[in-house]
Amino acid sequence: MDQIASVLLSFPPSHELRSNNEYNDAAKTHVRQLNQLKQREPELLATHAPQLLQHVDAAINSISYAYLLSAIYHSDTKNSHLPDDLAECTATFLLTFDARQIRYAGGPFSSILDFVQTGQLLPASIAVELLASALLRLDPTGSMFTSHHLPLVILAYQTRNTQQILPLISKSIVFYPGMRGQTETRPLCDMRLASSAYISIESGMTGRVSSAEVMEYDLVCGLVHLYHRDWASAAAALERVVTFPTRDGGCSTIMVQAHHKWILVNLLATGLLRSTASVAPYVQRSLATLSKPYVELAKAFEKGALEGGAEALRAEAEAGATYWAEDRNDGLVREVLAHYQRHHILRLREVYSKIGLEDIRTLTHSAETGKPLDTTSEVEALLRDMIARGLLAGVVEPQGHLTFLPEGEELTEAQFAAELEKSAQHIRDLAPVVRATDERLATSRDYVKHLVKQQNKKEDGAGGRTSKSTSWDMGFDSQIEDEDLMTGLQVAGA
Amino acid sequence: MSDTLEAYFKQIEDQGGIIIRDTPRLDLDLYIQNYRGRTRWDRLFLIGRTSTRLCVDALKAAVAEAKRGKDIDRYVQAVEHLRTVLPTDQDAVLDKSWIERTGQANRAETQRLDAELKGYKNNLIKESIRMGHEDLGKHYEAIGDLSRAFDAYSQMRPDVSTPRHIVEVGKHLASVSLQRRDWVMVATNLNKLSGYQNGEEDKVFQPYQKIATGIALLGQEKYAEAAQCFLEADSTVASTHYNEIASPNDVAIYGCLLALATMDRNDLQTKVIESNNFKSFLQLEPHLRKAITQFVIGRYSACLAILESYRPDYLLDIHLQRHVAKIYAEIRDKCIINYMVPFSCVTLESMNAAFAAARKSVEPELAAMILGGKLQARINKIDGLVTTAPIKPRLKVQKSALETARNYEKEAVERLRRMSLVAADLEVRGLRRHLGGGGLPQSMQAQMSDLGYEESSA
Repeated sequence: MDQIASVLLSFPPSHELRSNNEYNDAAKTHVRQLNQLKQREPELLATHAPQLLQHVDAAINSISYAYLLSAIYHSDTKNSHLPDDLAECTATFLLTFDARQIRYAGGPFSSILDFVQTGQLLPASIAVELLASALLRLDPTGSMFTSHHLPLVILAYQTRNTQQILPLISKSIVFYPGMRGQTETRPLCDMRLASSAYISIESGMTGRVSSAEVMEYDLVCGLVHLYHRDWASAAAALERVVTFPTRDGGCSTIMVQAHHKWILVNLLATGLLRSTASVAPYVQRSLATLSKPYVELAKAFEKGALEGGAEALRAEAEAGATYWAEDRNDGLVREVLAHYQRHHILRLREVYSKIGLEDIRTLTHSAETGKPLDTTSEVEALLRDMIARGLLAGVVEPQGHLTFLPEGEELTEAQFAAELEKSAQHIRDLAPVVRATDERLATSRDYVKHLVKQQNKKEDGAGGRTSKSTSWDMGFDSQIEDEDLMTGLQVAGA
Repeated sequence: MSDTLEAYFKQIEDQGGIIIRDTPRLDLDLYIQNYRGRTRWDRLFLIGRTSTRLCVDALKAAVAEAKRGKDIDRYVQAVEHLRTVLPTDQDAVLDKSWIERTGQANRAETQRLDAELKGYKNNLIKESIRMGHEDLGKHYEAIGDLSRAFDAYSQMRPDVSTPRHIVEVGKHLASVSLQRRDWVMVATNLNKLSGYQNGEEDKVFQPYQKIATGIALLGQEKYAEAAQCFLEADSTVASTHYNEIASPNDVAIYGCLLALATMDRNDLQTKVIESNNFKSFLQLEPHLRKAITQFVIGRYSACLAILESYRPDYLLDIHLQRHVAKIYAEIRDKCIINYMVPFSCVTLESMNAAFAAARKSVEPELAAMILGGKLQARINKIDGLVTTAPIKPRLKVQKSALETARNYEKEAVERLRRMSLVAADLEVRGLRRHLGGGGLPQSMQAQMSDLGYEESSA
């Protein structure tokens, strides 16, 4: 056991590791030792692990800690030997682990996340919070999708612990596991690395994911935002599903489901039916057919009361009742009906500066009943509710009319500059991502092939017999490279 | 009005046709005298189907007009319409012997011209071939076979030898296209000719070209360009050179109305009222001149009143009919906008006095214009005011700048994401279905509802 302890505590060493390379070598040696230990004496490791945990600091010896925890979870004698404070240890680990070290312990780290996700160890509310913070700790930019994301959001959504994952799901994901053409030569511990370099299938940090899982993740994110009534974020998340890249005439049911919800959420967020012009034509066709009742509903929503929009909307909502129920969108549809009058009251601002309550009553109808409200006092109550919610910038005057207040104040030069700077910073933050993507694309097979072709063309154009032989050589080289990468591709595709 | 007449117009109305019940100012005989050629019948027939007052006279004139020509279809059509309106009239009976005679003559003529043309072709004389085609085209046009006429005229083209011939070909084709209401074809054929008007002789062709192009543009609802064409038509050329398509009065009417609908105050003053060329056209329709003057000096209601009193007449015009409502609406909108220009705040009362019909309010119309973005104003219903909306350019610029920055960021992220998805081979594929995701796992499906969301809203 002492021997095990000495191995466990051997990293990080007492002396300082100055360069990344030094750190890399030390960490790799350490991981090799731990793996040997795990292979040779799994029993011994598992039995002593609970005691050893007391001597290892989660924040300092993160790699060792991860190995111990995963050994405990996977020991055959589970349950019987689980130490009492295992839950606490796991929590401490997930909250304090060293993000740089843990890059070397992808396998054990993943297995810890998986185990916590099962909910055997910790109640769901705590598990969700721990997992979300651990994923963000590992990748503060939140730009890499892992196989842990989807189970986490599903767990959070099913157990209604959505508040805790908001920081995680509000990050924009731009990297996915299994991207071809990654050629990173810098060591894992380099803090400048893009998250796609150290979170990979090879390092064990993530498993392989399918397109359905990626779409489902965004769909569930949309549902979580809906739960918080954040229409704009929900619309953005659902839009990611609707516009998911497709090829060979593919279209997925998840996309269709997302499209249904997307139409409804857009009505709530902006009151408009947005077109799906950016998706492939064959997907557009499928969506147009499968989302017809929703589109009709949205068209009715856009019409004002004087054009019969309220009655039409009500009729559409009733006619499609079974659709909504089957798609489990009946709640959203009810919300859309309730929002109809509010939306059209807001639009009155475009025409009127002051308007009597009686006029509002006749100009905007409730879609829930398909009729105008009965009394002006109901209108007033509705207006007060909208003003209280911050939806409407206006004042209900005691004389019985509504005055619209000016919308949006001018910013001062300084405020404006600050706002712009904020946006610029966001864009600058993207630079590392762009660089990583650029590197990846520049080394991809297709691009290299294209480059070779271009070069050939150029040389052929320049003429001369000598150039021909070189171009032939290059063609041959590219053939070889082609084959190498093809095998890689087949593995990736399998 | 007799029952048959009533039923006839009821039927037209049901089919979406336009009907005029007011007495128009025009005198049918004087009106039709202005034209020659096939347009006479077209115009008579249209008036017959539109005006309840002139119906019988116009249809009878149409029957007579058709009988003078060789087009049997037209004759039959006119008689049938007349029969529904006035079954007892002596003209309402088909003259079978005339039909037979004319039909026979037409067939014989076609054969003769065809044979002649073949003879010319065998002799390979270019000029004769061209003329043979032209004769055949004219014949087809006269008997109402417009598509063959078009083909025959088109075949003149390979054998033209002088610029004059080219003009003739273009004119024939344009004329046929005009009758077929193929506006694009009219414009294309006439545009080809714009370079051939240098000679003194060809000057007489200028108004024809301008007017026909104008009508074609009008048909395509390009009002501004159409107005320009009519205003440029040369007024010194005798109307006989173009009266198979329009009369000088028509030119004045089309030009004025379209100019009113599309030009601003300055242009109206300089290009219409003060134009030396257009002046002589304007003299033919003094009330329109007055209407434009009223608009220019800011008496919008007077201008609109004049136009309104002539609406029935314009609805009887073959080319204008379909556009009158739209042109009038545009003129009206323009009046309202111009009325608002000098003020930052106008009372609804004064607007009503200027524009609304008795005991009605312009407010719904104003609201529609504001919503349509034509008018930058807000209505204050409580104090009865219409205020021009303050435009804050700074606010606009700031908003759009921030918007652009945000969109840029959003788009950048989205592009990166898509590149990564493609690189990771995660696109949804069509061929292997199960890969594209056959839906969600059953366990999740139950959870996919907005149930959670409902709870929160409850």
